[in-house]
Amino acid sequence: MNTAHATSSTDPAAMHLTEHRPATRSNGEDARSVLAALKSDWIKVTTVRANRALLLLTVAGGVLVSWAVSILVTDQVQYVAEVGFFWTSVTSMLAAIGGVLLFGSEVQHGTLASAVAARPARWVLALSKTLTAALLGLVLGAAGLAAGFGGAVIAGLAAGDTSALVGTIGWALLFTTLSGVLGLGIAMVVRNSTAAIGGFLVWGFVLENLFRLFLAEEIARFLPFVAGNHLLAYANDLESPHALAIALTRPENAFVFGGYTAVALLVGTVLLYRRDAD
Amino acid sequence: MITVTGLTKQYGKRLAVDDLSFEVAAGRVTGFVGPNGAGKSTTMRMMVGLTRPARGDVHYAGVHYRDLRHPARTVGSVLDARCMHPGRTARDHLRAAAALSGIPGRRVSEVLAEVGLESAADKRAGKFSLGMRQRLALAGALLGNPPVLLLDEPSNGLDPDGIRWLRDYLSSFAARGGTVFVSSHLISELSMFAHNLVVVGGGRLLAAESVGAITARNDVCVLVETPQPVELAALLAAHGHTVEETADRLVVTGTTRAVVSQIAFDGGIRVLELTETSRSLEDSLLDMTRSSAEFASN
Repeated sequence: MNTAHATSSTDPAAMHLTEHRPATRSNGEDARSVLAALKSDWIKVTTVRANRALLLLTVAGGVLVSWAVSILVTDQVQYVAEVGFFWTSVTSMLAAIGGVLLFGSEVQHGTLASAVAARPARWVLALSKTLTAALLGLVLGAAGLAAGFGGAVIAGLAAGDTSALVGTIGWALLFTTLSGVLGLGIAMVVRNSTAAIGGFLVWGFVLENLFRLFLAEEIARFLPFVAGNHLLAYANDLESPHALAIALTRPENAFVFGGYTAVALLVGTVLLYRRDAD
Repeated sequence: MITVTGLTKQYGKRLAVDDLSFEVAAGRVTGFVGPNGAGKSTTMRMMVGLTRPARGDVHYAGVHYRDLRHPARTVGSVLDARCMHPGRTARDHLRAAAALSGIPGRRVSEVLAEVGLESAADKRAGKFSLGMRQRLALAGALLGNPPVLLLDEPSNGLDPDGIRWLRDYLSSFAARGGTVFVSSHLISELSMFAHNLVVVGGGRLLAAESVGAITARNDVCVLVETPQPVELAALLAAHGHTVEETADRLVVTGTTRAVVSQIAFDGGIRVLELTETSRSLEDSLLDMTRSSAEFASN
């Protein structure tokens, strides 16, 4: 097929349009375009101050909280290998917020319409944003862990038992990565950044803790952030011996949290296709 | 060429676009006019796949928009100049758009220069005036060097210099073979450079022809003052003339004083005043769309 083409408009005399049928796109070309969409999304992520603020908050908060806990908690011996993970729960929320803003700000500022016009195969945009949200969660998770360990080191704590450190770091990064993607999925469903972020904070910090008071422990362990936080596997003084005894393994917790993420993403993608790109 | 066939969109019980069919020729500027709520923006959104029509289709030289290999390099569109992140600079906004469509990064500087925004390239879009946002939106549409431009109210917020620049740019774009489809409320401005007009009202097509044809059909009208307006209106209608009754006179379009005078004389109707006037394109279009205007002032 012929391609309708125009030469550079800096050379007006040479510009022309043919009436020939423009070239059509194949599924393979859509698949190859994911890379271009990824590049575009990464430019978007790195060129707004909100995301730089998230990174700064992650690092500053991690250092401060770890240092403060190390200094102020004196009734038990603490180690870097434990304290370093305390901030990860908050980092996961920040990663979720980043995921929300990745899509929510596009809807809010109308740039989603431009993106859909440029890439009519909406699954390309959904996949690109999923990978970007995952990368954002990974970067924030790594920064948060580094800050957490750094704060504990600055406070002068001993390293502690590091035999499971690498594994726990891996699970923590999986938690923040999935949190970023969960934020994206929720934003794709709700389409309102404020509502999505508010919902996350209220659910994660308030509602789940309330539900845990009323629900049987066999059920409560399947709540999303209960499962997610158990990926960090440090002992939680608030949990009963029974809850600790029936706690899911880390792979099981990852499956539960990942399941919520997958459902949110799937519903969000379906809605991305079904709704008009306003 | 753009071919729109039977485009229809319904929101609940409201039919926003009703079986719209028209063609937009290459090498021409085609204006898209109609009152507020006529369905212009909805139509343009359907033309670039943002809104799904209930029925109908849009093809670009025979290819559906969703099947185009390089949509941004075939159709450049500006549907809302506010569609940009206020915290992102103009340059980064265009970099992201270029990356998404696989367009080389050097085009960013080129289009910024084309629209006169080089000096504001590193300024955040949130600090831009409406006119600057319009220019940035147009720069985004030009990134892919497309042969087709779809613009919804592109002159909103532009100063007279900017409107002239836009008019000249679109005229030369069409003269070089490009296809331009532009909606505007500034009918008088549009009439200075549009070749064809698509007129919609209440979601329906009212006219799709050249500016000259619309002007010629509605050019002349006769104003009649008579103590027997009802009788004269009936007599003129019986002779096949279009008559509109205003507060104090009748307006008969597409005819001459001589014809109206003869009909009145033959009917024994006294005429106090008979004036022949020519109408501007704006008047013609306003008359065409008056009955379908969603919001109209008294």
